[in-house]
Amino acid sequence: MLALLFLLFAALAVGCALAMVAQRNPLYSAISLIGVFVSLACLYIMLAAPFIAAVQVIVYEGAIMPGVVFVIMLLNVEVEERRTGRLKFLVPAAVVLAFVLFAEVAFILASMQEFYVTPASASANVGVTHSIGTALFTQYLLPFEITSILLLMAIVGAMTLARRGGLLSPNARVIPGAQQLPLSIVDASVGIEDTRAVETDTTDEAARLLGYERLRDESERE
Amino acid sequence: MKQRGCSDTSACAMSQSENNEMEPQLSWYLALSAVLFTIGVTGVIIKRNIIAMFMCIELMLNSVNLTFVAFSSFFQDVTGQLFVFIVMTVAAAEAAVGLGIIIAIFRNRESLDVDEASILKL
Repeated sequence: MLALLFLLFAALAVGCALAMVAQRNPLYSAISLIGVFVSLACLYIMLAAPFIAAVQVIVYEGAIMPGVVFVIMLLNVEVEERRTGRLKFLVPAAVVLAFVLFAEVAFILASMQEFYVTPASASANVGVTHSIGTALFTQYLLPFEITSILLLMAIVGAMTLARRGGLLSPNARVIPGAQQLPLSIVDASVGIEDTRAVETDTTDEAARLLGYERLRDESERE
Repeated sequence: MKQRGCSDTSACAMSQSENNEMEPQLSWYLALSAVLFTIGVTGVIIKRNIIAMFMCIELMLNSVNLTFVAFSSFFQDVTGQLFVFIVMTVAAAEAAVGLGIIIAIFRNRESLDVDEASILKL
């Protein structure tokens, strides 16, 4: 009975993982990955680790995957297009190497000595919250504190990365400053029917072309 | 392995194999974990979308978690589950920073294709 359940969840996990890799739309990949996480949580429950299963559902399905889905929908990700003709000569090599890998695994499985370990019974208190909390706050307190520092660094790093313009130097290509101006704006002697364009790369350059630089210098002089 | 209450190891293994005929063995979980990890590595190699590569890394982390929990449960030791807890925390931190990097890359390049970001500068 337990073996059937294991096979069911294992097949679900492997199938969802394969679907995740095979999908070209990132949103479908994310949904398949959620399937993998759910089946892994079921396997954790089978392994008598209910706390880890709950944390898996809360952290992965509740925190990480919504973030990923938010980013996918926010960025309007295009479907990955199929590219052919590149590195095509590597496909036979990949097939041969995959067979070598499977042969190695089969050899190891065939020559492996069977050993049996008593699985955790339901009465064992290894995976319950009490034992995990006791060990976490007594014997493994230092890794716990280091983890908290890591989380603080992650918060600061995410805020630094997500701040608009935080990483750009003044010489970088700035999207709002890079523009094409009609020549008639820069030079008043050209008629408005002149459709030639002036390209500027930065905001400072555009200000200089438009004459604001001169005005600003004069105002500073006053 | 130290077998409890068995003087003869082979006979004990035989009896235990009869008992555990229909129960999942430790090697089953390890094999599943290896399969999931291989799928994750393959995904990181063949995917070009940076978000898909990110999700494949998450899959690899989860397969390692499965190994930890399986060993922890079969050897009756709580240390493995503590490591899983810490791995999950690291994965959450990685998700926060990684998604920030993805947004920054998209803002600068307007594309998520890793082949276009291969020289790491604009």
